[in-house]
Amino acid sequence: MKKILAMILAMTVVLAGCGGGTSAEDAVEKYGSDTLKLYNWGEYMGENLIKNFEKEFGVKVILEYFDSNEMMYTKLQAGDAYDVLVPSDYMIERLMAEDMLQELDLSKIPNLSNLAEGVKGLPYDPENQYSVPYFWGSVGIVYNHENVDPAVVEAQGYEILRNTDYKGKIYVYDSERDSFMMAFKALGYSMNTENEDEIQAAYQWLLDMNNTMEPVYVTDEVIDGMITGTKDIAVVYSGDATTILEENEDMSFWMPMEGTNLWSDAMVIPANAENPLLAHEFINYVLTYDASMENSSYVGYASSNQQVLDELSGEGGLFAENEAYLPRAGYAKDEVFEDNPVLKKKLAELWIKVKAAK
Amino acid sequence: MRQFRSMVYPYVLWIAIMIVVPMLMILLYAFTKEGNSVTTFRFTLENFGRFFRDAVFLDVLKRSLVIAVFTTVVCVLLGYPIAYVIASGPEKSSVFWILMITIPTWINMLVRTYAWVGILQDDGLLNHLLGLLGIGPFHIMYTTFAVVLGMVYNFIPFMILQIHTSLAKMDKSLLEAANDLGANRLQTFLRVTLPLSLPGVLSGITLVFLPAVSSFFIPKLLGGGQYVLIGNVIETQFLTSGDWNFGSAISLIMAIIIMLSMYLTRKVDTDPAANGRRE
Repeated sequence: MKKILAMILAMTVVLAGCGGGTSAEDAVEKYGSDTLKLYNWGEYMGENLIKNFEKEFGVKVILEYFDSNEMMYTKLQAGDAYDVLVPSDYMIERLMAEDMLQELDLSKIPNLSNLAEGVKGLPYDPENQYSVPYFWGSVGIVYNHENVDPAVVEAQGYEILRNTDYKGKIYVYDSERDSFMMAFKALGYSMNTENEDEIQAAYQWLLDMNNTMEPVYVTDEVIDGMITGTKDIAVVYSGDATTILEENEDMSFWMPMEGTNLWSDAMVIPANAENPLLAHEFINYVLTYDASMENSSYVGYASSNQQVLDELSGEGGLFAENEAYLPRAGYAKDEVFEDNPVLKKKLAELWIKVKAAK
Repeated sequence: MRQFRSMVYPYVLWIAIMIVVPMLMILLYAFTKEGNSVTTFRFTLENFGRFFRDAVFLDVLKRSLVIAVFTTVVCVLLGYPIAYVIASGPEKSSVFWILMITIPTWINMLVRTYAWVGILQDDGLLNHLLGLLGIGPFHIMYTTFAVVLGMVYNFIPFMILQIHTSLAKMDKSLLEAANDLGANRLQTFLRVTLPLSLPGVLSGITLVFLPAVSSFFIPKLLGGGQYVLIGNVIETQFLTSGDWNFGSAISLIMAIIIMLSMYLTRKVDTDPAANGRRE
């Protein structure tokens, strides 16, 4: 009965000329404001996610995009206020350590029960005190199986990026985190190592790759590049690999046996958020079946909603045939990135030196 | 005039906040490093030492200067004839051509550079067209050529506009005078037109060289990250490694190099001998 009443009320409001769904006045009354400032990665949301959210809750979403965690961090540090951010694991760890996040009120996020097994109890925030997973995945090798023998990829793993048979045929992700990850893993080290010898060995590994393979360093351009088949081999995030495999059937995906980076991006509310109530509502909304389905099926990254994950990767699902969609879980050599500013600085400097070497 | 004097103050305040304060902050960052538990920062020259001790950074600096000089030279060689042709045509057509050269600059540089990716890539527009003629395909993307092309494309309007302005405001009766005194067309150009347009060329050089030497997204997009220039190093310090002190130090070094080169161009500009005015 209450629902019907609410609907009639909502209808009258619509008729009064306030636009669809719940009205802005309702939102202001309920959340204290009708605008949500969201800061997310580019190309990281379902087509209609924001529109649907705005309609359902009678609010307006102001969207901004970042293309690296560091860029987001820099803006945050400069004092910009957002209500919801979607940083990655290690960055959340840092934001937590620096008291830049608000503790979540989990009673306002009942949909947390939908969380996928693979993103429960993550090491940086096992109890979801500060963060709620958004997407997750791994990093692997996408290759053109018409030009590259799958057996070679499977035998060599990351080492294929130094196999001069494929000189001039590779893309390398332009970030110190991902490139050092593959070098560390290729050499059999932990990707969180602080051992100076191991870091130098990885540096040499990358330098050698840079000097012998003519790699092209890219970020998001890798998706288009592999879809059009410009290069044969690329190390990419599993979600991007999903898209590539959907668009180009010559492409295959391989998760190296040397291990990989198991990562997750999660929604957090910064300490200076102006509208935490609505932020909670948004986080809860993203975890609903509909919103998660919209997000994951559109973007191709692994959902944090178990039911969506099962349906998309299960028989008859949209990504049932796509070997990149479902991240590998429980493999001992896979690791999660830890936040280590000193190491990061060191790797960043070494990485620019790798690229600058001629 | 005196009563308008107070109207200058908002402007001075604006400059102070928007230009002077950031410059001072760069200066402060460049000469400091993160402190210990007692002070928040300590003064140091370490940031500069780090830059000059490392052959890699010096190589990057050299590469940036070479590419910027090369870009500037190409812009002068291409820009001068274009500006000359435009300026010597009837006024209506020169207005039209100047508009055509200005229009692209209304669109964001990043977008226009992305367009070049689509044109130059292996299966891009250019290679398709060449393929129709039975030539190619060529690897153009991710080469020095692509980077210089992108820079020349983006910065040449500044050169053309500067040269055109100085050519257009030139007194045409001087040309007639030279003609009357028996100079042929080449002599007229070398003795009259060129010296009078030199200020335009020089300010064009400054306007092209400055963005070219500090550009970071053109080498990133068209050079595939392989052509690391000094702008990329600075960008990395601020956005990736978060080492603002080192980034500021490099910015300061660049600022000094730029100020030096501006000083030199101005010297050429005011030096009558170099300006071609013969006594």
